[in-house]
Amino acid sequence: MTRKKVKLAYIPSDSARKATFKKRKKGLMKKVSELSTLCGIEACAIIFSPFDGEPEIWPSPVSVRHMLSQFKNMPKMEQSKKMVNQDSFLKQRIARANEQLKRQRKDNREKEITKVMFKGLTTVGKLLQQDLNMLDLNDLGWIVEQNLKEISKRMEVLNKGGSINSSSGATAAHSSSQGEKKSSGFEQKQQRWLLDLMNPKQNNTGGFRGEDVIMFPFGDGESATTHSNNLWSNPFYP
Amino acid sequence: MEKKSSMGRQKIPMSKIPKKNRLQVTFSKRRAGVFKKASELSTLCGVDIALIVFSPANKAFSFGHPNVDSIIDRFLVRNPPPEPCTHRLVEAHRNANIRELNMKLTQVLQQLEIEKKHGEVLSEIRKASRAQRWWEAPVNELGLHELQQLKVAMEELKKTVEKQANKILMGSFETQSPSLGENNINRLESKPVDEVNPAANSNVLPFYNWGYGHCQELL
Repeated sequence: MTRKKVKLAYIPSDSARKATFKKRKKGLMKKVSELSTLCGIEACAIIFSPFDGEPEIWPSPVSVRHMLSQFKNMPKMEQSKKMVNQDSFLKQRIARANEQLKRQRKDNREKEITKVMFKGLTTVGKLLQQDLNMLDLNDLGWIVEQNLKEISKRMEVLNKGGSINSSSGATAAHSSSQGEKKSSGFEQKQQRWLLDLMNPKQNNTGGFRGEDVIMFPFGDGESATTHSNNLWSNPFYP
Repeated sequence: MEKKSSMGRQKIPMSKIPKKNRLQVTFSKRRAGVFKKASELSTLCGVDIALIVFSPANKAFSFGHPNVDSIIDRFLVRNPPPEPCTHRLVEAHRNANIRELNMKLTQVLQQLEIEKKHGEVLSEIRKASRAQRWWEAPVNELGLHELQQLKVAMEELKKTVEKQANKILMGSFETQSPSLGENNINRLESKPVDEVNPAANSNVLPFYNWGYGHCQELL
């Protein structure tokens, strides 16, 4: 409705504050009324303001009194269970917003990494230039692996030569489970996929000799599908 | 990973919602909204307020500033409560706390806005990419031959990634004492990991600090 974003703090100007109070009080009462009507429930509001001696209430003094006695007659537990004040309410909102923020950031990171991956498919040089650190490489490797899995599964389906209908049904199931796996991969911060790979305990020679060690879990040349699961249970980060 | 957007703003008839499910959903959403409005009114205009709402299942939801019970009492008794000095002090404390919480909330909401916009930008870029490069299309849309090619390219990439990772580890070993392995894994581990922001630990993302112009860089 408003074009300007209002700062969530006490309005210092008396006139502005009074005007805001009038508008928002009206809006609030309307919202309470709508809630009551749409959901067929009872609701009431009581506002004490410095602008007026009498409290502003909705719907009516009689109804409010009735609801208050109904409320007070409930066991104390029932009253308090869903009772909040500014402090608890704001804390709830902050917690919820933080959760959303965390989720959104993970989402964005996955998008970023995927972008890097596609870039890396065609121009390997550029990929190396980007100066990716271990965490990036870790996540990148993981995403590549996920994609390889999807590709293998899809190829399997196509190779079986099923009709278009049956394959799309199968892939729908696959893609949804892939989707879940993708999110769980990024959910678990502890997917030290590559570090596990480089785990010196697995290495008998006591040194790192590039190809040999790296290919160890993928020894028989098969793709990631069969072996990657071992890497996920990480001895370093339980 | 994309969430479906909601139906958006629609005009609805102002009468009791017939379907039980929709009624419950509406109740939850609107109750939260009304509490939010009450919280804002209280903060912006410095007023005391109480809302009591009974759910379809007859549970009592209430919001109150400073608290529900005092407002109820004040309303029923109708005499201005006495205000000893300590009362004022408690109130001042409480308000200061609320002020801080509001600031924190505003901050988090702003960050969320930024991230959402960033996400949209990324999605747009991906969409554009997909139109131009066949290999970026969803796997299910690709034919067997294409999948074959893609698989090879992916496996190449995986090797490159592994090599690079190995290189980094080798590099860090060389700068450390001969008793390798454990030390360096621990070193990497001791770097404080930002739980809330995975990107903070990565080199891939200068975007957060520099704005969206740089999204073009990787294209």
